[in-house]
Amino acid sequence: MAARRSIRDRRGRKKIHKDFELQLTSMMDILVIILVFLLKSYSTSTNSFTSVPGIKLPLSKTQEMTPDSLHLIVTPEAITFENGRVVEFLKTADALSTDQASYAFKPEDLDEGGMRIARLYDALNKAREKAEVLRAKSPARDEKGNPLPFDGVLAIQADKRVKYDTLRKIMYTAGAAQFRIFRLLAMRQDQ
Amino acid sequence: MFKRPSTRRRTAPAEIQINLIPMLDALVTMISFLMYTMAFLAFTMIESPLPIVSSEQNEIQLKDKPLQLTLTVNDKDVLLWSPFEQIPQMTISNRPDNSIDTLKLHESLIAIKQKFPSENKIILVPKKDTSYEVIVAILDTSKVLDKTDPIISVKNEKTGVQEQVKTLFGDIVFGNLLGE
Repeated sequence: MAARRSIRDRRGRKKIHKDFELQLTSMMDILVIILVFLLKSYSTSTNSFTSVPGIKLPLSKTQEMTPDSLHLIVTPEAITFENGRVVEFLKTADALSTDQASYAFKPEDLDEGGMRIARLYDALNKAREKAEVLRAKSPARDEKGNPLPFDGVLAIQADKRVKYDTLRKIMYTAGAAQFRIFRLLAMRQDQ
Repeated sequence: MFKRPSTRRRTAPAEIQINLIPMLDALVTMISFLMYTMAFLAFTMIESPLPIVSSEQNEIQLKDKPLQLTLTVNDKDVLLWSPFEQIPQMTISNRPDNSIDTLKLHESLIAIKQKFPSENKIILVPKKDTSYEVIVAILDTSKVLDKTDPIISVKNEKTGVQEQVKTLFGDIVFGNLLGE
């Protein structure tokens, strides 16, 4: 029985011609098309900005590249600065019931009449001091031979629902810590 | 004497086939590399400096009476005005769904830019509850010139040549950042 099946199988098997060669031309065509598409839409960037879960960035028509800088993220739960959680938002009853972030600060986290976020101010100050030390050690100098001044650039990545009141407090705090330029991040929208 | 044998070949010439496998390898490697290093999320940014209060600058500005174009976001409309009354105050009402009419706002800004082509600064005064999305939309409207917009040119003070303006009001400052 086994011998019969074996013969039957052998009969059913298609013979492969000795000169058989796989046609690679069509595959090459596909790969070339993919390569051209990737090269066309390829964009390199020198920044370390990544998408954050829970954050929906607004769309913007501006086409400016985003150079790397100190990075602050406003998530629904907290403010994160340089990958470290600095301040947590207040969990209000409304926020818990509707699953909507409150973006409200705890009263003890605020000073200067409720405008400055104390912990964020400390974190930003530390970052500035660190940057100044690095610049002092760097061989790059200005015309007078002094270390290059602190550029004071802060990139802010926030959810599109964040209110201006929260952003204003963040920018006010950053301004107090001698950050002078704010880069509001958004997703690029093709015109 | 035997006849000289014919030089004409009777057999068909052997088919030349290019070895595509190394090229295929290279393509696969390149595609893998590109896909690995590609930034699928395209970030962009809108830069805004911290407003600086300088009495010296203010004195110079007061002599010249600048435009100091200010955009105030209200509950039901948007105001475009100049504290030095260089332009008549414009009120752009919100759409029926209470969203900002960015088209009308953009048209109004273009009209102002045509009048003051060298002016590049705009002061934005949002409400406390204005969302980040709305702020970015206003900033876009105030900054970006669309392809369909009329061409605005300004004389370059250094070269004396008329140059096309690339941005509408590129320098955006938050007016109420340091307080009401």
